Amino acid sequence: MHHDDELNPFVSAQSQFDRAAEGLGLDLSTRELLRFPLKECQFLIPLRRDDGTAKIFRGFRVLHNDARGPGKGGIRFHPQETIDTIRALAMRMTWKCALIDIPLGGSSGGIACDPHYLSSSEQERLCRGWVRQLARILGPKTDVPAPEIMTGSQHMLWMLDEYETIRGERVPDFITGKPVGMGGSLGRVEAAGFGLVFTLREALKELQMAADGTTASIQGFGNLGQHAALLFEQLGGRVVCVSCWDQRDGVSYAYRMESGINAKALIDITDPFGSINKDKAEKMGYEVLPGEAWLTQDVDILIPAALENQITKNNAEGIRPRVRLIAEGASGPTTSAADEIIRKRNILVIPDILANAGGVTCSYFEQVQGQMNYYWGKDEVLGKLDVQLTSAFHDVLELSKTKSIPMREAAFAIAVARVAQACKDRGWA
Amino acid sequence: MGLTVPETSSIPVFDRQFFSGKERFTAIGRGELGGKAQGLARMLRLIDGSLAESFRPDIEVCVPTLTVITTEYFDLFMKQNNLYEVALSELRDEVIALTFQKADLPPQLVGDLRALISQVRTPLAVRSSSLLEDAMFEPFASVYATKMIPNNQADADSRFRKLVEAVKFIYASTFFKDAKNYIRATRHVTTDEKMAVIIQEVVGLRRGPRFYPDISGVARSHNFYPLGNAKPKEGVIDLALGLGKTIVDDGIAWSYSPAHPQANPPYNTLDDLLSRTQAEFWAISMEAPAVYNPIKETEYLKKFSLADAERDGVLRFLASTYRAQNDKIVYGISEAGPRVLDFAPILKFDLLPLNKLLRRLLTICEESLNRMVEIEFAMTLDERLGRPARFGFLQVRPMVVSESEIELRPCDLKGDDVLTASESALGNGFHEDVLDIIYVKPDKFNVHHSEAVALEIERLNRSLQELGRPYLLIGFGRWGTSDPQAGIPVNFGQISGAKVIVEVALPETSTMLSQGSHFFHNITSFRVFYFSLTPFDPYRVDWEWLARQPADRETEFVRHVRLISPLKIIVDGTTSRGVIRHG
Repeated sequence: MHHDDELNPFVSAQSQFDRAAEGLGLDLSTRELLRFPLKECQFLIPLRRDDGTAKIFRGFRVLHNDARGPGKGGIRFHPQETIDTIRALAMRMTWKCALIDIPLGGSSGGIACDPHYLSSSEQERLCRGWVRQLARILGPKTDVPAPEIMTGSQHMLWMLDEYETIRGERVPDFITGKPVGMGGSLGRVEAAGFGLVFTLREALKELQMAADGTTASIQGFGNLGQHAALLFEQLGGRVVCVSCWDQRDGVSYAYRMESGINAKALIDITDPFGSINKDKAEKMGYEVLPGEAWLTQDVDILIPAALENQITKNNAEGIRPRVRLIAEGASGPTTSAADEIIRKRNILVIPDILANAGGVTCSYFEQVQGQMNYYWGKDEVLGKLDVQLTSAFHDVLELSKTKSIPMREAAFAIAVARVAQACKDRGWA
Repeated sequence: MGLTVPETSSIPVFDRQFFSGKERFTAIGRGELGGKAQGLARMLRLIDGSLAESFRPDIEVCVPTLTVITTEYFDLFMKQNNLYEVALSELRDEVIALTFQKADLPPQLVGDLRALISQVRTPLAVRSSSLLEDAMFEPFASVYATKMIPNNQADADSRFRKLVEAVKFIYASTFFKDAKNYIRATRHVTTDEKMAVIIQEVVGLRRGPRFYPDISGVARSHNFYPLGNAKPKEGVIDLALGLGKTIVDDGIAWSYSPAHPQANPPYNTLDDLLSRTQAEFWAISMEAPAVYNPIKETEYLKKFSLADAERDGVLRFLASTYRAQNDKIVYGISEAGPRVLDFAPILKFDLLPLNKLLRRLLTICEESLNRMVEIEFAMTLDERLGRPARFGFLQVRPMVVSESEIELRPCDLKGDDVLTASESALGNGFHEDVLDIIYVKPDKFNVHHSEAVALEIERLNRSLQELGRPYLLIGFGRWGTSDPQAGIPVNFGQISGAKVIVEVALPETSTMLSQGSHFFHNITSFRVFYFSLTPFDPYRVDWEWLARQPADRETEFVRHVRLISPLKIIVDGTTSRGVIRHG
């Protein structure tokens, strides 16, 4: 693969699929069907800003595959959003839902924008604009959106409200990630981060390492990173470094505390976009390092939980010998070339479609609850989440051991096989 | 001590396989196991070894499958939900229990519970195992809740919800009023306490709408009321049909000496025997409860009659029949007539080596703990399926027995300064520090008011306890009974400051306490002297002397007097004679 291609998330996702397809011996028509999205929507959203000027934003929605059930995928607000990142996310979501074995397909969407520079009412108008463009193709039986990077429960509620206004009825299962009490599920906020730690806990057992006393470094301190840190601490682990984007300085920083960060205290000085207040962190005694330092910490576990393509062949060699485990909280954080280096180092990787599946699993639970209009307690949500992810982890581990293949390949093999079978059963390929 | 205390780290981690896993005793989390679980862990290896082998194929001896949620999760639960403020408040038990129900269990625990419940569809006992309760050197018994759940709902979600509710209920019971009173009595503080929770299969079989063991029992290696040929060191065994609640809470059982299993308990007439043996039994109701109530300990428990048990076919090995024509008890149930639960086929005809097994167990447990012990067990007999009887070892606790050498002769029980005396006093030793007396006014007492009496005593108990003043308690009928018509229905927490208790028998009730009851256990463990006065005894309470003492406080039914010089209270454990003298 060409170096530029490696950093194109969709090309990277396709090449992961190709390897799985090859391993499974899929026929050409199935490969053709699954290498590309079934449906793509690109459109413009004109926005009237608070100062009266107009600005045009690009919006996206991609449905990769819905053979196993309605599409499911997030809406990301990010200035570097492109159709290829969305395609890659949609494809990964297909595999993720199949791997976790929930009856949903994969989709994704977003708006190329930077919400740091948009007021709350501008963000609301943007959300409503996005829904107006897509109301005819979205819905609980076709494609269900959810929060992603830089979107949250308030955005979901605006989108739901716009959709329901257009439809003229209440449709609580149109979107997930809503606030609790407004159709949201308890445990949804924690689900992605906790889900990652559930799989990490099982991986540590496999490595015969006690969680007690292990150390971790996390890239990204958004919702997933925060909750992963909280639960990891409770298991007895110690997070010694977290990195995040600093909007004010336009760079990322890594915050290190050798004795272990205090996740709760750090969350208190983090903004809704996952940026830690640098000045306050320094006052709390954190050592502030360049953002990329998260990767070179002398720890047992690395948790990339920010964006795609963060571990590349250029920096993978910097991973310290002590690292035994990488749990991918972000989607596609490791390039294929870096993956090769990590494999040779004998580091166990919990692939993204498994490690970060907690969010979509809980989104599915939210949909189920919305359809029943009966909501579960948090114990019930998190109990089910744990069992679902733990069981998926062991499916992957077992195949990985039986076939002597890396966890990522095993996870893709299971997921792709399930989706391919559904396509075949429907007569699509 | 014979054995070291098992560390949590030596207990296998719960691997999400309950019945199908390699281990039958597992732990979730890295905290403490709590006293009850620790006791079981101690016994596990001893029971699994040669003992179990030597009773095959007649009896399959085991510790029923269990997993323990260690105290680590209790700490997390309390902290994450900020529960200490409510828990340590004076709020009613129900309010505390409901607040706990609304809280969330730690996220790393719920997955294990969910996995457990997905595979298990038989009844579960969710039991407390606190650091203080039942710990090897602490005397607590039945201070905290145990919840039995049928766990037979078709969908895993419902079963999971009931299990979670039960765990939260056990946590909440750490802070119920009785528990706080107990802890005060042991000079601990509630914040010392931490709760582990045992989730254990219930030994029993389903028969129609109910699930219960054929036999449950409590065996003690020391007998405080040795009667007939029995000797204190031979111990005493209480047996009952159904769940052990009949013995430990209701105080009803068939009591016998393991050295003389064929001897009936002492009784005056057959009528007396019939009225004192078990007529009802507790079982887990396998049907939906009449009222959904997650904060009720007995939500799924129900009492059934002996006729139900007979229809279930379980009386064959347990009962005899009263033949009215010649006023005799005939063994077995081949004749029609009132059934008497005397366990005759097993005890008198040795159909199963149960008594031999219990004697062995008492010896093993005594040797292991290096002190006198009390054990709880449950057993199923399922001859129809051709399986051996199954004996589940449920609990072991130490007994506290005073070794002071006291000698009281009959003449020592008489004299002008005798407040009262008894020939069936419980305990051993003497007290010379009791200045306070709380007594139920004889002219006011009526069983219809016994519950009000209990509340008045509780208030006085609390204030005396806060002042650190031990007291003598005198009342009518059986103390600690669950039946308000039979006596004063206090639990031990309500009278926990009493050093000496006098029970003046009501004419229509039996005077004997069931030694297997948790109330009895706590009486003996806290070394409380217990005097029983029956209408046939030559001894009385000197009510006139009491009435002459000025009242410190007086309520409608109860009077509290404070003396200038202390009472002299002596009990001779070898003869069961006791005397209380005023100066």
